[in-house]
Order: sequence, then structure tokens, then C-alpha cells
Amino acid sequence: MKIVIVGAGEVGFHIASHLAHENKDVVVVDKNADALRRVSENIDVQVILGSGSSPVVLMEAGINSAEIILAVTNKDETNLVACLMASMLSPSTKKLARIRNADYDHYHEHFQQHAPHIDTVINPEIEVVKTIDRLMQVPGAVDVGEFADGRIKFIGVYLEKTARLAGVQLSDLPSIFGDERPLIAAVVREDELIIPHGDDRLMAGDLVYFISEEDKLYAALSVFDKHSQPLNRVLIVGGGRIGFRLAALLDQRSIQSKIIERNPDRCSLLAQKLNKVVVLCGDGSDQSLLAEENIQDTDVVITLTDDEETNILASLLARRMGAHKTITKISKFSYLSLMTTIGIEQVVSPRLSAINSILQHIRRGKVISAISIKGEQAEVMEAVALETSDIVSKPLKRMSFPKGAIVAGIIRQEKIIIPSGESVIEPGDRIIIFATRKAIPGIEKIMAVKLEFF
Amino acid sequence: MRWRYILNIVGILNLFFGLTMVFPLLCGLYYKDASVIPLLESMVSTVGGGALLHLFFRGAKAEVITQREGMAIVAIAWTAIGLTGALPFYLGIENCSFVDAFFESVSGATTTGASILTDIESVSKGLLFWRSFIQWLGGMGIIVLSVAILPFLGVGGMQLYKAEVPSPVPDKLKPRIRDTSMILWKVYALISLAQVVLLLLGGMSLYDALCHAFTTMPTGGFSTRNASVAHYNSVYLDTVIIVFMVLAGINFSLHYQVMRGRPLAFWRDSECRFFLGAVLVLVLLVSFDVYGAVYRSVGQALRYGSFQVVSIVTTTGFATADYEKWPAMSQLILLLCMFLGASAGSTGGGMKCLRVMLCFKFCYKELFLLIHPRAVTHVKIAGKAVPNDVIRSVLGFMSLYMGLFALSSVVLSGLGVDFMTAVGAVAATIGNIGPGFGMVGPVDNYALIPEMGKWLLIWCMLLGRLEVFTVIILLVPEFWRK
Repeated sequence: MKIVIVGAGEVGFHIASHLAHENKDVVVVDKNADALRRVSENIDVQVILGSGSSPVVLMEAGINSAEIILAVTNKDETNLVACLMASMLSPSTKKLARIRNADYDHYHEHFQQHAPHIDTVINPEIEVVKTIDRLMQVPGAVDVGEFADGRIKFIGVYLEKTARLAGVQLSDLPSIFGDERPLIAAVVREDELIIPHGDDRLMAGDLVYFISEEDKLYAALSVFDKHSQPLNRVLIVGGGRIGFRLAALLDQRSIQSKIIERNPDRCSLLAQKLNKVVVLCGDGSDQSLLAEENIQDTDVVITLTDDEETNILASLLARRMGAHKTITKISKFSYLSLMTTIGIEQVVSPRLSAINSILQHIRRGKVISAISIKGEQAEVMEAVALETSDIVSKPLKRMSFPKGAIVAGIIRQEKIIIPSGESVIEPGDRIIIFATRKAIPGIEKIMAVKLEFF
Repeated sequence: MRWRYILNIVGILNLFFGLTMVFPLLCGLYYKDASVIPLLESMVSTVGGGALLHLFFRGAKAEVITQREGMAIVAIAWTAIGLTGALPFYLGIENCSFVDAFFESVSGATTTGASILTDIESVSKGLLFWRSFIQWLGGMGIIVLSVAILPFLGVGGMQLYKAEVPSPVPDKLKPRIRDTSMILWKVYALISLAQVVLLLLGGMSLYDALCHAFTTMPTGGFSTRNASVAHYNSVYLDTVIIVFMVLAGINFSLHYQVMRGRPLAFWRDSECRFFLGAVLVLVLLVSFDVYGAVYRSVGQALRYGSFQVVSIVTTTGFATADYEKWPAMSQLILLLCMFLGASAGSTGGGMKCLRVMLCFKFCYKELFLLIHPRAVTHVKIAGKAVPNDVIRSVLGFMSLYMGLFALSSVVLSGLGVDFMTAVGAVAATIGNIGPGFGMVGPVDNYALIPEMGKWLLIWCMLLGRLEVFTVIILLVPEFWRK
């Protein structure tokens, strides 16, 4: 499978690295020689120097034989033109574009039907706002994913020292909780991802990933000693594009919110567009301003400025001054692994969101959504079990399932089944699979339709 | 530097290399000659040694190899391959000292073709097969082959590939390095096969045809005969070998393009044009020079002149004539050919046409800037500006190459070798050619070089094959600092 990626920035780099690890043929195009060098020295892909919007460069990149083109430069215009040229040169190639400007929001459908024929428009900012919203709703969660149109949640929580589950062996879970037990899909311990078995124990400090139905979510969370907190007062630091989108969302929900923005002009624009939200002009890391605005009674502080370091410091400061919860926007991937060490648990990353939404579109077979977790070490995906694939009509334990992957849930019509070794997947079921990066090619293989059937 | 990991990979590469000894072993078994036992012993010890190394360090895993580690792996693996490749010669040839066996093996793997054997025809067929086969493996690169065949090298494979096949302007035929390596090896094997068929048609035995194709395509130059290609004294065989030497001196990605149905690829590539043009001009010059002085007829002058020029400029090193009896100009041209070398991305050695071409263009640009001090101009290849760091590395390479040549020839002459021999031997080993001048001319061999001199030349051959940087970097103290 050949994939052309236009743009070698953070998003392009990480998608390329993700795909190269899965042994796909990747060609990366960028104008910047230094960015390309970083790609070619670290990842096993082909690089081409030139503008991704140029037809000559696209031909050189082999657009004709590419299955997918991803236009992920930081310029919307370049991405649009790249897709436009691609649709002229090679109409059968699937096109994905990252488009961030909110002015284009209403035209995403048009892009699909008309000229550039972009199959999927990805706006990481919309995704990030959705993620923040989910993180706000679920107490204690550091990672929230949704499957089956939100009916199934995929949650990551840290296990505290005082939690009941700390030190418990997994095989003992049924005797403690009976049917209410959560399905634990994976554990991250000291930066290593473990797919747990019955004889593994949960330890304090583990990041535990589990799957739960929406209506049983709070019960499941209470198992981990995470109890729901009220969400009445929200403070947003940074009134950029994401800050504004989030504020507008909260505006509709009559949640008391405030937004702090440094630039006076931007403040006045925000104040014009927002109704109930209080717009404050000032610095988010200014202690007296935070104190003035009753930071100790705030339920959630969300730091969304363009500057990573400011976000981190503002979050730490808010936490220190008594805010109940903070959510921090981090774009640099190299910082992500540091966050737990310095005490920041809830993190959102527009780039990671972009990567997640792109991933689900490149998976073979009928994958509905895919989320990558833990610095891209593993992936959770929701897929439709196709009639002719290897995965159906066999008990799970008799299937040669790749090592490092498990079926975490089966959705049959309205029912959600937590699978055991005896479970059989039927055609048309939606299944949730949790897989480490190494296991993904194997998963794709068993999910795919067998050709000899036709 | 993760030494455990490096040794782990070196172990795997050695294991893999040991397995290839099965081919000469089969050949030895077929002829039922004396080479079977030494080959079997070498194979067992190479495979066993590699497996032990791998098992001992198998815990050390890594997802990425840094550039530094890649260079260390390649340099160490090549030395280890030289050592284990020497075992069959050491065990199988009477009175063969260890340094001689090592010299012969490195000369094979680096596709130099310099030999210490005085009577080649007395050596058993199995060993001579190994001698040719090792050149064939070394030509396209043992590590490139491993990258193509062993899947686990994955991303790290790229760093190894870059260290084994350094090229001023890297070009990847396919997005993945594994596919690229696979294509190169397939193209290489296919052209070799074509040559075997053509040699068979010229009346060579299958054994000789295989051995000569195995040493023509990697521009190696080992022959199974004492008199090299001159033994056959056939115009047809000379022509076939000339054509395939030229093919081996052309960038293999161009061969791939031609095979994919773009017959004009050779002509469109500016380096290839430069290489073919240079070959043509030099052939005409040398043939004109030797016509009358050595040979009576135009045909003969062209036949021997062209064979020798092509053999030296592609760094193969076959001989059909004793060029030391030729006029001075022809000899000097041949000496310069040793430095020019073949194209980048070919199996040939030397400084490579692309680098020489870039150097010429850079010099012209400097002159141009003296005339128009305010002009903005770039060095261009095929209409595209060449980045400054490429030019910088090319100039760095050429200075290092010439510097090491000068240093090594001074040291060699200090060891008691005469002037022409010292210059010729170093130029012929660092350029991976084979025959040099003086004591190591086309009708002589390297047996008489003092022992220390042989060690020096082994080092020169490795320098030349891995294009200087990968080997010399190991001597830089900064490389070892944590």
C-alpha cells in the first residue's frame, strides 16, 4: 500500500513514522530540506523535495500508484491545492486533508462532492475540543475514546495508592466485583505497555485502560475510586482558535466559564462573539489575576495558549492554587512523556488528534475509528467484521490472533459482549480491538476480506 | 554507542555470511577436490561464531540505529567478514600465512582483485569458486543483501545501507529500503546471469563462466587463470567482458530504469554521460598511443587498449596485456583512471565520476565568481542545484582520499618498496582495482610485498570499498566519546 504524505511537520513526521513501522510504502513531500532530512534520517520512507501542491512533484512522488494522499502541511491553501491536483492526476486516490480554518467548517461536505473531492477533511481543532469535552465529563480520566457512536467508552485512568484495586490480581476481579467488573485492556507501567493476563497484578501508579458501556461508566469508574465531580466553573487560558471553539461550546451549555487572553484586540473580538462567557484580558500565569478570579473554586482549568511552556506552567500554578482539575494542551510530542513526572495528567494534543483521525482512514478493512495511545505504541480500533475475513465464525481461542492484540469488545446490534475464549464473532459484528504497534499488520490481515472468495 | 547491540547485529551478519559458504562447498563436493574439508570447517566456525555472538548479546534490542552505530556496525562487520572469509584460504592452501589469507579475502570482499597467489591454477576449484563468489557478494554489498533478506533490520537497515553504499546524492528506488536493496540485488543477479550465458556461448566452461561473471559484475577482477583473461585469447570473450565491465560501472538504479522500459535512462543521466564519454575519450587516447609503439594493427591497439582502459577505469582489474611495457602516457592515463573510478551507485570503486564531476563544476563556479564577484550561481546537476552540504562532503571526501593515498604510499615506500610500486599498489588498493605498477603490475602479484605492507594495503582496500568515511571515522577520538 503506497501513501503520499504532503508536509513533513510534526503531524506528517509522526504519521509517516507510524506507517513505516507497519511496513507501508510511504513517500513524504515537503519544501523544506531540513524537515525532510529529519524524516529521511529517522524513518524508512522516500522523501521528495518540492511543493506538494505542484503537479510535477506529485507525479514524481508517484501519485498515480498511491492509494492515499494525506495533505497535512500547516497551510490550508497548500493542502487544498495538493488535493485538487491529486484529484486531477489520479482520481482514484483517496484524499485526506488537514484544514484548520473555521471559515471552511461549513464547506467540508462540498469538498467531498465538488472539485477537490477530498474524502475526509480533518480539523484537529474540532477533534481537540471534542477530546477536552470528554475529559471534562469523565472524572479522573486521562484518556477518553468513544466507540459505537459513544455507547462504548475507552478510558484510561491512573491507579492511586489508596485505590482498592492497587495490588489486586486480575483473576480475582470477578470474585470482588462480579458482573460489574470493568474489562481491562491494557496497562502502562513505567512507560511500558502491557497486555495483562489473569495472573498479572495491578499496581499503584499504573495507567489502566479499560472499556465500559456508557451507562455503566460511573459504576466502572467508582471501581477505580474515581468519583464524579460537579462541572460548574471552567477557566480557559488562551483565546486562540481552540480556546474560542471550546468557549463557544460551553457558552451553549450554561456552564459558568471564563476565558483569559493576553491580546486586547483578540479579547474584544471574543467578547463580541461570546455571550455568557466572561472574557478577561491578562496573562494566564499571573498569580494575582488567578486569585482574583477565584481559582480555588474552579472545577477545570484548561490551558490552550500557543506556547507549550506557558500552558504547562499555568496548569501547574492553577493546580497549586487549588483548581480541581487541569487539562493542558501540548503539541510537542517529546514533552508528552514528561507530563506525568511533573504532575500534569490530563493532556490534549491537536497533532495527536489529527493523527488519530487520519489513522482510522488508512486502516484496511472496514475500520470505523482508531485511536492511538501511549505515544503511538498501541492502537485501539473499532471495525466491522466482514463476512469473508478470517476473524469470523471461529471461537476466539482457536484463532491465530497476533501476539500483542486482544479483542476487547463485541457489539452485536444493541448488545455489547465482553468476549471470552469461547466467543464467536459473527459477520456484521462491530469489534473493538486493542493492539500494540507490532501486531497491527497482523490484525489488518485477519480483518481484511479474502480475495479468493470472489 | 550500544556495543551489545552492535555485536548482536555483527553476529547475525556473520552467521548469514557463513551460510553463503554452502555454494563453494557444493562446488567442491561436485569436483570432489581438497577444498571440501577446509570449507566445511570454515563454514561451521563462521556460522557457529556468528550464532554465539548473536545468542550472547541477543538481549540487546533497539528500534532505531543511530548513524554512528550504523557506521560502527558496517566497519566491524566488514572486518569480521574479511577474517572469516579468510578461513578457507588459510586452512585450504598450503604455506598460506594468515596475513596472506586475510589479504586475499579482503581483496575479494572489497572487489579489489589483488592477489597473493603465485600459481592460481594449482588451487582447488572449490576455493577458487569461493574466491570469486566472495567478490560477487561484496560487490553489491553483503549488508545490502542482508537488509534485503533479513526482515528484522527494518528501519535500522537504512543506516547500515547508507554506511555500506555511501553516495554523494542518495537515491532510493522504492519508499522502503528493503525493497530498494531487493531490486538492486535482483538487477545485479540478472545482469550477472546474462553474462554467464554470453561467456558460455564464447566457449568457456560453466565453471569458468560463473567465476568470471562473479568477478566482472562487482568490478572485482579475480580470475581462475594465472594469465587472467589473456589466457583465453579470444576477441569475443574480451568484448563480452568489456561490455559487462562498462555495465557494472554504471549506476544500478539506471539499469533498473532501463529494465522498466525507459531505454534512454543512460543518456538522460548526466553522470552516466560523463562516465561513458570519459571511457570513450580515454580508450581512443590510449589506443592511439599504443598503436605503432606496441601493436602493429589498429584492431589490436583498439582491442588491448580498450580492454585495459575499461578494466582499470571501472576498477575491475582484469588484464589482457602487460601495460607496463606501454608508453608513458598510456601508463599515466591508466594511473589517473584508478582515481577517477566508475559511477556512484555502481559496484565500481575509485573516487566516482559524480564526485569528480561535481568537483570540476565547483572549480568552474569559483573561477566564474572571480570574474563576476557579485554573481549568484549554483553548482547544478541535470538542471538541479546541488545543495552546499553535498558539495562540502564531496570536497571533504576527495581531500581525505588524496591525503590517505599520499600518507599510505609514503608509509609503504618506507617499508622498503620502490617508488612506482608504492604509488601503484596504494592507488590500486584504495581504488579497489587490483593490479598496480612495478612489483604489483598486471603480470605480477602482491606476494612479495612485506608483511606490514600487506596489513597497510588491507586497510586501504577497506577504506576504498566503504568510501573512506565509514572506516576513517573509527579513528576519530570524538567518535568514541560518550
